Amino acid sequence: MAKKQLVFALLAAGALASFMLAGCGSGNETGGAEGSGEGGANQASAPVTINMTLPGTGLPTPDNDDIKKALDEKLGTDIQLTAIQSGDDYNNQLRVRMSAGNYPDLFTTSYTYLKEFAEKGLILDLTPYLEKELKPAKDFITNLSSEDIWKKVTVNGKIYAIPRVPDVPFSSFWIRQDWLDNLKLNPPTTLDELFEVAKAFTEQDPDGNKKNDTYGITGQKFDAFSPVFGAYGVGQPGTFYEKDGNVINAYYDPNMPEALAFIKKLIDAGVVDPELMTNKGTVDQQKAFQGKAGIIFKGWIEISKDEFVNQYKTINPKAEWVHIDAPKGPAGQFNGSFDFDMPSRYYAIPKAMEKDKAKLQKIFDLINYVSGEEGNDLVMYGIEGKHYNVVDGKVEPTELMAVEGNYFHLYQITGRPNKEYLEVKFPNQAEDIEFAIRIPRIKTLDSSIVPPTGFNKADADRYAEEELVKFVYGKRPLSEYGDFLKTLETTFKYNLYVDEAMKQIKEQGLANNG
Amino acid sequence: MVRGLEDKIFNAVSYTILALVGLVTVVPLLYVLSVSLTPYAEVLKNGGYVLFPKEITFNAYEKLLSNSAIPRAFQITIFVTVVGTAINLTLTALLAYPLSRKGMPGRRLFLFMVVFTLLFNGGIIPTYLIVKATGLIDTVWALIVPNAIWSFNVLVMKGFFENLPEEIFESARIDGAHEWRILLRIAVPLSIPSIMTIGLFYAVGHWNSFFAAIMYITDRSLFPLQVVVREILMMTQQPLENAEDMVPTVTMQMSAVIFASLPIIAVYPFLQKHFTKGMIIGSIKG
Repeated sequence: MAKKQLVFALLAAGALASFMLAGCGSGNETGGAEGSGEGGANQASAPVTINMTLPGTGLPTPDNDDIKKALDEKLGTDIQLTAIQSGDDYNNQLRVRMSAGNYPDLFTTSYTYLKEFAEKGLILDLTPYLEKELKPAKDFITNLSSEDIWKKVTVNGKIYAIPRVPDVPFSSFWIRQDWLDNLKLNPPTTLDELFEVAKAFTEQDPDGNKKNDTYGITGQKFDAFSPVFGAYGVGQPGTFYEKDGNVINAYYDPNMPEALAFIKKLIDAGVVDPELMTNKGTVDQQKAFQGKAGIIFKGWIEISKDEFVNQYKTINPKAEWVHIDAPKGPAGQFNGSFDFDMPSRYYAIPKAMEKDKAKLQKIFDLINYVSGEEGNDLVMYGIEGKHYNVVDGKVEPTELMAVEGNYFHLYQITGRPNKEYLEVKFPNQAEDIEFAIRIPRIKTLDSSIVPPTGFNKADADRYAEEELVKFVYGKRPLSEYGDFLKTLETTFKYNLYVDEAMKQIKEQGLANNG
Repeated sequence: MVRGLEDKIFNAVSYTILALVGLVTVVPLLYVLSVSLTPYAEVLKNGGYVLFPKEITFNAYEKLLSNSAIPRAFQITIFVTVVGTAINLTLTALLAYPLSRKGMPGRRLFLFMVVFTLLFNGGIIPTYLIVKATGLIDTVWALIVPNAIWSFNVLVMKGFFENLPEEIFESARIDGAHEWRILLRIAVPLSIPSIMTIGLFYAVGHWNSFFAAIMYITDRSLFPLQVVVREILMMTQQPLENAEDMVPTVTMQMSAVIFASLPIIAVYPFLQKHFTKGMIIGSIKG
């Protein structure tokens, strides 16, 4: 008996020892990586660690990160940026960290989470700091957008996030110019012409390979038809926008059934990629590049960036994709809808940071610095002389910028002057950039709507999309559109959502006639 | 061997089915390998589908390795796999052996504790809190220590130890061997197939570990291979959000897949003989 107990004790000790060994080793392996916030701040000379996190890709390791080095040197910080690739993984990690009290010092989140975190008292109310400590950043953001953007980061009357300057839209219809030339057609300017061109692309062998292997239009779900909705003055399904002085939801737009009827006409004529509703990721883009369709609604960032032009020219040297204006329809000409006031990111600071004044000041310094001229140039263009040169007051990118510069935007906390920036970064696409910014779009208002409790937005959206698919594929007659709305209201309580959205839009003062 | 017509037909049919099943398994792998080795322009011209490369290039691999994150992540993953598996096996064997000895005091209680964790666990946030409180956040040990023992494997190994004939242990004891010696000189050597099998389970688990890294690690220089590879692959799964984002070419994606799975594929043949034994045999031979 005694022997057995001894063995047990030995085993336990052995297990303990291996744990201890494991513990000892950790010091060697990770070195300076530990200490995500505590300590360090008290010593005047030691750099202050700022732990920053957001979803994103392409970030190099810290020793190869020129922006980090430059910022650290300037601000006396040790910025540890973490970028996780997918939004879902990011949200999982963030939620767990928030629940466990292991906050990042500065992080991005969505408006819905922002509201939740604010109501739980987890994040810092920035209102008192905006007029003093954060004044430079505030002015920078307001100048590049509008006063309205602050309404988009407000929860219960208090500002809880630094909004990053809104993105500019990228998308438009793209068409195969060489196909138009082959068939001696003009680019479509109206809905009817769009139909005719799509039909010709499908039936008249535009690539001249004597095979019936092309379609008119490809894309992803209803996004593919954004300009068609626009021609009827209808926003993307589910969005809120102003029409004739009232805020409405796209499903309730009186023109919605007509827009669906036109899409049905396209689908019935067989000129739409039959896999349109199941295309995911880059599938539709690849189909377009492979010459399977001649019209696609996409951003220039997915069609005319150098790498993509190279791609489709490699497949077919004659291929030429050009952007075209949206087709005119009964309600005019709109390239779908876009939320011009939506912050491109929401940066929040945990409430706990309040206690560490020195560190909080460093975070403010960082935010202000990247909003100032010198800092903003750094996070836009990189290191002068390495990533760019200034020639006659103009920024000229070097070759290294195209290679290394793709992650700089992760440090653009407050944003950038979009047009100027994009045209420097993508000089060959300057015309496309300008075009996409200029063409008219329906202005949506829903980026700061938080669905009410008791309403499941994901379920309602899924149902609505399924029914719209049935309508345009003729599985359900459009005469039943009213019944569809009724089900949306009774089964999915969509009216709760609409009412709440109207209320929030009014409270935020976003609509002109709210 | 004289066979009836029926036999021949039966053989023909079963070989055909097996060949088809084999083909279905091999083609996707072949596709990945071929695309990763074909020049990018060639892949594009073929509509993205290449089964037999006409021309071979290692361009995609060179590009992949020039990305500083990958070699680093590779080291991390190898470290986690080797050290992690060693710790796993040590701890699993040390727990499984006493549990397999019928006379151990409190055996039922300990067994219950092991089985209990199979059915219930603390959930993500409490686990995170423990990992945080023990100071493991943002260290490679967060990928090793929380998964140091998998109860299921303890039960498998315990089963294996139990099947060793009691007589061997008795004779060892008569010859004066103490428990440590019995474990190290008799139980373990006789259980090599099961240890290899369980080791492989653990190793593959570490090699593919992804979720733990996403949860516990924020320092990019500590990301394991799967996190980095997934980043490369996922880029094409969603529409681009930022104008600056670079989409890796399909050849690069495929070389990343090969890069991430080749080491494990290479290890399999060497472990296979133990593997089949470990899975099938429940006792020692003759």
